[in-house]
Amino acid sequence: MIESIDLTSKRSYKSRKILNKIKKDKFYYLMFAPVFIMAVIFHYIPMFGIRYAFYKFTPFKKEFIGLENFENIFFGVNSQRFWNAVGNTIYLSLANLILGIIASVVFALLLNEIYNKKIRSAIQTIVYLPHFLSWVVTASIFAIILSPQGGFVNNILQLFGKEPINFLINEKWWRPIFLLIYRWKETGWGTIIYLAAMTSINPQLYEAAEIDGAGRWKQTIYITIPSLIPTILVVFILNLGKVLNIFESVFVLYNPMVYNVADVIETFTYRIGMQQADYGLGTAIGLFKSFIAMILVLITNKFSKRIKGSDIL
Amino acid sequence: MKEKFSFKPGYRGRTVFRILNGIFMVLVVISMLIPLIKILADSFDRTTTYGINLWPKNPSIIAYKTIFSAEALYRPLLISFFTTITGTFLGLLFSTLGAYVLIQNDLVGRNFLAFFIFFTMIFSGGLVPTYLVVKNLGMTNTLWAVILPPSFNVYNMFLMKNFFEQIPESLFESADIDGASPMLVFIKIVLPLSLPALASIGLFFGVQYWNDFFNYVIYITNTDLYNFQVKLRELILSEQTLTDPSIVGFGNSVRNAAIIVAMIPPMIIYPFCQRFFITGITMGAVKE
Repeated sequence: MIESIDLTSKRSYKSRKILNKIKKDKFYYLMFAPVFIMAVIFHYIPMFGIRYAFYKFTPFKKEFIGLENFENIFFGVNSQRFWNAVGNTIYLSLANLILGIIASVVFALLLNEIYNKKIRSAIQTIVYLPHFLSWVVTASIFAIILSPQGGFVNNILQLFGKEPINFLINEKWWRPIFLLIYRWKETGWGTIIYLAAMTSINPQLYEAAEIDGAGRWKQTIYITIPSLIPTILVVFILNLGKVLNIFESVFVLYNPMVYNVADVIETFTYRIGMQQADYGLGTAIGLFKSFIAMILVLITNKFSKRIKGSDIL
Repeated sequence: MKEKFSFKPGYRGRTVFRILNGIFMVLVVISMLIPLIKILADSFDRTTTYGINLWPKNPSIIAYKTIFSAEALYRPLLISFFTTITGTFLGLLFSTLGAYVLIQNDLVGRNFLAFFIFFTMIFSGGLVPTYLVVKNLGMTNTLWAVILPPSFNVYNMFLMKNFFEQIPESLFESADIDGASPMLVFIKIVLPLSLPALASIGLFFGVQYWNDFFNYVIYITNTDLYNFQVKLRELILSEQTLTDPSIVGFGNSVRNAAIIVAMIPPMIIYPFCQRFFITGITMGAVKE
């Protein structure tokens, strides 16, 4: 047998195979192209703009200044407002998240005790209605209801002989009101996932408990709540990654009088980067936020995988 | 112990609980509804003074008539409809195309493409750099700035992909045997089977576009291009300085009516798609 030149050597054979496959599948790439282009234009190209965090970049000037922007926000002129915003972001987001989980779980548990399916369904529908309202609509509703001049709440207060309170301008009231409004809007929607989780609890557990003489309350504490813990953890962890992003809810409800308690990182970035057109400084703050948020998202995703993995029964 | 509604010993605690729970639910429903009812009532009310009435003191539909006749008000409404419809169409287009390609397990570079798309959820350039890109493309103060960027939504693409993955493999195989091109399979097989997903994800996009305010805040200063949400905010904030003669003078009913109009479309459509939300949400949390 004469040794012929090996035209089917592994390397060139594989790459020809791959090239042929690509040619065969070219329509898939074509179909994906618009999606790819959108990602590049609106998500990847802006990433190149990150370099402006190291510039003094305004409509009048564009020069490299190294870490000066960061010095500015961490230690310098803007540091007090910056760290104030960081503190508010963490407080408002976390308080909202924790309150939200508690409210939604408690409400789901109570709703579950309503036996009439039609009534339960009607209550559910009403309670998750506000989720579909925009924050502008929500803020508008409460701006009117809480208005110090003839707003519903203040009218009631005056009936009891109290002075009207300007809730949204008052530093003491703003945070509780914000959290309450958020609950008004989102509690109903949050109960969906817990109600769904409750329907998948094995009914035999309840029957066994019944036989052992446990009342409804004990059944709730020893069966329902423990079964909800994985869901609660997943919800908590997944939302932890988004903690720094809070913006629209604050933006529509805040005003200069309450910046101390209400200003969050994104609203601060907006005022600096867009209103004051200090693009460089705005980019620097945004970079800091994106970086920390990325770390949060990666860490919390790892945790959520662990938890989901452990409850495959 | 059987479930019985009675005050006899043994059932007493349970019955008391059920009564209290019932009262609690009534209170919750009332507190959810009172703000909405008040706004609704005031939108039909011509009086200029406030009160705690939940029914109009001076009923009239002048506020709604004004919204549909004053250009300063119906123009933003039309713009909202326009951006919502085109945005939803584009959003569905990108989600379905993206999802369809990403489910092709044997596509060369598929994993790279998936990561490329997914990475945008982990890290982003930030508010200012994104604004600068849009500005340099000349899209600021045009409707493209509010229609295009939000149409690329990775989360919705994910939901769509999950849905497509449930289409039986055999359908794709038989189409393959018949020599169908990817586009044909997409149009004739995948899309018709995905109507529930298209409906619910379409609704997600629709609500997102209708309620959009954030993109306007950043990209648009031209008041002629305002959508209804932005106009609503302007109405609320400029309480003392309303000078447009076509809308001033009807008390506060116009502001309230604007709120109602701004909330109606999402609220009407969502009950039809209720079932899909539940599956959509639990799809993410509990994947079989």
